[in-house]
Amino acid sequence: MVIITEEITIEAPAEEVWALVAAAERQAEWFPGMASSTVEGTVRTIGTAAGGMLLEEILDIDHDRRRFEYRITGPMQFDHHLGSIEVHEVDGAKSASRVVYGQELEPTALAYVLGAALRDALVGLRELVETGATSRGWDPEGGA
Amino acid sequence: MARRILFVTTDQQRYDALGCNGGQVARTPVIDRLASEGVRYERAHPQNVVCMPSRATIVTGRHVRNHGVWMNGVPLAPDAPSVARVLLDAGWRTALFGKAHFEPLLDPFLRQVENRLGILGATDVDGAPHRGFEHLEFAGHGAVLLLHHGQWMRAEHPEHLFDFYPVLDRSLEVNAAGGGDSGAPQVHHNRVPRDLYHTDWVAERALAWLDGLDDDEDWFCWLSFPDPHHPWDPPSSELHRVPWRELDLPEGYPEDREEREKRLDGKGAHWRRWYDGDLVSNYEAPAHWVPATLTADQVREVNAMAHIQNELIDEALGRVLARIGQRGWGDDLDVLYTTDHGEFQGDHGLLFKGPYHVDSLMRLPLLWRPAPSSLDEPSGGAVVTSPVGLLDLAPTFCAIAGLDVPEWMDGEPLPRDEEHARSQGRKRVLTEWDSVHPNGTEVHLQSLYRDGLLCTRYEEGTCHDGTEGELFDLAEDPVQAVNLWDDPTRRSLRDELLTDLEASLPARPTVARRVESPV
Repeated sequence: MVIITEEITIEAPAEEVWALVAAAERQAEWFPGMASSTVEGTVRTIGTAAGGMLLEEILDIDHDRRRFEYRITGPMQFDHHLGSIEVHEVDGAKSASRVVYGQELEPTALAYVLGAALRDALVGLRELVETGATSRGWDPEGGA
Repeated sequence: MARRILFVTTDQQRYDALGCNGGQVARTPVIDRLASEGVRYERAHPQNVVCMPSRATIVTGRHVRNHGVWMNGVPLAPDAPSVARVLLDAGWRTALFGKAHFEPLLDPFLRQVENRLGILGATDVDGAPHRGFEHLEFAGHGAVLLLHHGQWMRAEHPEHLFDFYPVLDRSLEVNAAGGGDSGAPQVHHNRVPRDLYHTDWVAERALAWLDGLDDDEDWFCWLSFPDPHHPWDPPSSELHRVPWRELDLPEGYPEDREEREKRLDGKGAHWRRWYDGDLVSNYEAPAHWVPATLTADQVREVNAMAHIQNELIDEALGRVLARIGQRGWGDDLDVLYTTDHGEFQGDHGLLFKGPYHVDSLMRLPLLWRPAPSSLDEPSGGAVVTSPVGLLDLAPTFCAIAGLDVPEWMDGEPLPRDEEHARSQGRKRVLTEWDSVHPNGTEVHLQSLYRDGLLCTRYEEGTCHDGTEGELFDLAEDPVQAVNLWDDPTRRSLRDELLTDLEASLPARPTVARRVESPV
């Protein structure tokens, strides 16, 4: 099993950042390469810019700990997958937050892909919080 | 007088794939004729034995340490220099058809420009060139939906989209599923009609581009065939070409299991551990396939499939050359033919590739048919035995174009004959390997070929302690059966080669570029 962890500091209160992270259907607004994210019950369906699909089960949205947990259930096959996003206050300050995006996976083929995507996603989240810019950055219909 | 360069690459093709190199199976008359009219290189090595680092060397003319693509999955820097850019800036028309792979292919979030172009069907980036190519159309192994060929298949021939072997399994690991008649991994009987197969598609797309050029334009056309890289799934209509049951086993395949394993045990620990299924060091071979299970019949069938793919490439190239001839461009045309790296194809009891620096993966086909109009007298049939590398290709293109070789290129123009090679002082060629698998396995190799000797140093990693290596005398031991690294009578020679290797390799970059995908 491989564990990937990426972090970023965002100049915004943790509650503000957490509100975005906890809104599971809004992930495509800040995760580059996601064309859509829709939620029905505990199932989140991600449409990727490459035309593929990811099915995810939302395991927990813990507002007290500001921790979001999910696992990919298909169509890609994992023996084990656990994704988590945590939002922390930075040193108790109210004006900045630290976001930690983690993935556990086995088998490991996607480890490098997800590592790179998570880094982009955290930058996208920061852009959305700090400037309001969504990171649907590249639109397959709109040109390269 | 205009100048034209047709640069032809295959993927994962062995030196002995071609008739002109002594190959006895595939019929390759078109390529053989180019060799008879030009220069054939007997000791051409890649600077890395997997696709992305090797292709980055081809397009930049640089050692791996200098272009930074140290393993598959590391994208070539967006601002990396490119020989195509040099030619474009000099007024040449530039295009690439087939497999580029300067950027990772496994890319579900479309982070890479190449894949964005492919899925859009775009041939440039909003009217601008990419890496110096003004026109790009991509194909991969199968009908890859991120690439132009796959998109075309989906739009025009959806009934055949899933005829190809799936290179990756549902876990996105390299597929270990066996097929064909022998159950060999990545072998498959493919019902796709030949004219939809990527080899013919690459040739047709190149012809369409060439047809649109004016008669007097200088052009550089990279024809980059994805075959004979696995999967070994040529159209079934072509299987009659090489009946696999009639093939002799390759010279490098020890059929006797005891002998096979004895040879592996004489090499570094990673050889036998991979063979036994005890080690997954890299992504390029199926993680769930155990080489020790490879049978002689599977070796025969894999070889037959690869040679069928080789024949289809030869015929596709023949069609492109015929059209070029019809345009009256043949006398001003330089043709260079090579591949990015080799393939075990049964040698040492193995398939695919990995951190193994032996001739199966490192000795490449390389030919140069200079433009007849550029020669004072025909130089047909020259043979160069001195070592050359793929890093010499980009400088060669510059020399053909009459341009100075940029300082950032590490190679120099290919010699036109052995005397020229000696005058250039060619003595050695270098190859290196670095890999860090997500499972924590690290392998680092550096090799030097010189004077008929092949010396490989294993740096400290998770399989090696930094004291091990390989030394082969290729004149005595052309299949690299016996590792002389620990032979006390060769100790001083080994140390001399290691000193040369150390002095010849560029320094490693202080910061390694990030891996963004397994491939």
